Amino acid sequence: MTRHDIPWLSAAETAVAIKTKQVSPVEVVQAYLARIEQCDGQLHAYITVMRDEALAAARQAEQTVLRGGDVGPLFGVPVAVKDQFWTRGILTTNGSRVYRDFVPDADATVITRLQQAGTVLLGKLNLSELAMGGTQEPPWGIPRNPWDLERTPGESSSGSGVALAAHLCAASVGEDTGGSGRGPASYCSAVGLRPTFTRVSRYGMTPMCWYLDTAAPMTKTVQDCALILGAIAGYDPRDPFTSRRPVPDYTARFGCGLRGVRVGLIRELDEDAGMHPEVKQAIHNAVEVIQQQGAEVREISIPLVAMAGAIFVGVADTEGAGARDDILRTRAAELDRASRTRLQAAALVPAKVYNRALKARVLLRQQFLEALRQVDVLVSATAPAPPPKHTALTAPFVNADDVRSRFFFRRAYTGCYALTALPAISLPCGFTTDNLPIGLQLGAGPFAEELLLGVAHAYEQATSWHTRRAPGIQRSEGRD
Amino acid sequence: MALSKEERCRELARLVGIPLIEGEVAEVAERFESLMHELERLTQLDLAYIQPVLVFPEEEV
Repeated sequence: MTRHDIPWLSAAETAVAIKTKQVSPVEVVQAYLARIEQCDGQLHAYITVMRDEALAAARQAEQTVLRGGDVGPLFGVPVAVKDQFWTRGILTTNGSRVYRDFVPDADATVITRLQQAGTVLLGKLNLSELAMGGTQEPPWGIPRNPWDLERTPGESSSGSGVALAAHLCAASVGEDTGGSGRGPASYCSAVGLRPTFTRVSRYGMTPMCWYLDTAAPMTKTVQDCALILGAIAGYDPRDPFTSRRPVPDYTARFGCGLRGVRVGLIRELDEDAGMHPEVKQAIHNAVEVIQQQGAEVREISIPLVAMAGAIFVGVADTEGAGARDDILRTRAAELDRASRTRLQAAALVPAKVYNRALKARVLLRQQFLEALRQVDVLVSATAPAPPPKHTALTAPFVNADDVRSRFFFRRAYTGCYALTALPAISLPCGFTTDNLPIGLQLGAGPFAEELLLGVAHAYEQATSWHTRRAPGIQRSEGRD
Repeated sequence: MALSKEERCRELARLVGIPLIEGEVAEVAERFESLMHELERLTQLDLAYIQPVLVFPEEEV
């Protein structure tokens, strides 16, 4: 294996290569650093590259390997995290000029656990301002989708999606408030998981909406996703909401097939008139593959899911505006225009309207749980259309219809799982004729990540979408 | 006399103590009106007996 091969490995494959001494942790980090240097000037995936810290950690890992020490399934793997996770002594910007000088004095629990698993932190990744989405002028550059540089990589864990698609890290942890992890995964042909709310500690993760935010493993493969979740999940006394349930082996259902698994295609999303025809076809093809694996597939109705976009914005934006009241009063000029006007509008929502959205959220959860008594796994597209152009996403809104079509519509697909606190995963399921990625979303009951990952793995292994590489970022054999 | 969208937005912002940038009032107003319009759809739902929940208890599952 040459150093040019290293970035194309999955996280699990990288760990095996290190464990079997085919490559050293230092060689692995050097290979990724070279690739970041080569590609990231154009892609803007990273805000901070932790070159010295990563090399120091890799040298330490190398000593462990040489000593024959205990190395786990992620040992020596270079990871990068959304710049929303606090890193002690390292700039943590939250994608905002407001936080341009913020250097935390503690690590987020996710960071601590990634380190305990033996991973090497490569750096901090770009994101939409305050993890919101729609940033018009990102202070650390516009993250470019490696599948088409003119298109968005998705929001708000944009840098995570870009870094995975361009192989600038082996695995990532993003954050998902209403689709911020699954959306970029879908747009960049990667895997993104929103775990059950309370499954992963949020200590040291700057909040967007306290009652919806979750850490989100984002990876090249489903296996990597299971390994990262296993590393970061579990009770944390510093986040009192975290569950005390034991953390299972999330790879336990791999290879078990899908016989007996009941799968429901969500009718209201599938029949959405706004869905792109090629996305719809890709989802139907994916359902067929799942059926061929032995699953029982049927349509299932969740009537309120069509309103999930409105409910989500009513809850998340209003909460977000409240949490950022101080910024809105005293530092609003430092915010990007899109973030500022979005938060200002949400700050004006009356309490009775917010309360109604909170109640609708409970009703939506009841409908999801009722559906999940009839089936084990829910299926839909992750996003109703392929990634739009940057210009289409960041242009100022011109009227209320424009706001509705660009802002609310797509949020129903991923926002529904955030509102209901249920786990959901996005994984590659095809490409449009323009070679733009399409994501398949699977959802399940509370704490059913093991099942979810098992179904996702079975689908992934039956297809080859995850092996396709973005154009223009192919390996460069000649450069050293 | 009914207030215009922009006037309504300015007045609400004044009441909650949020300063707006003059050149952006129309955009904030469009966003706010759109948000309220979407959330108005939720009045169709029978929510009378539903208690809002912020974090769903595990026991419920």
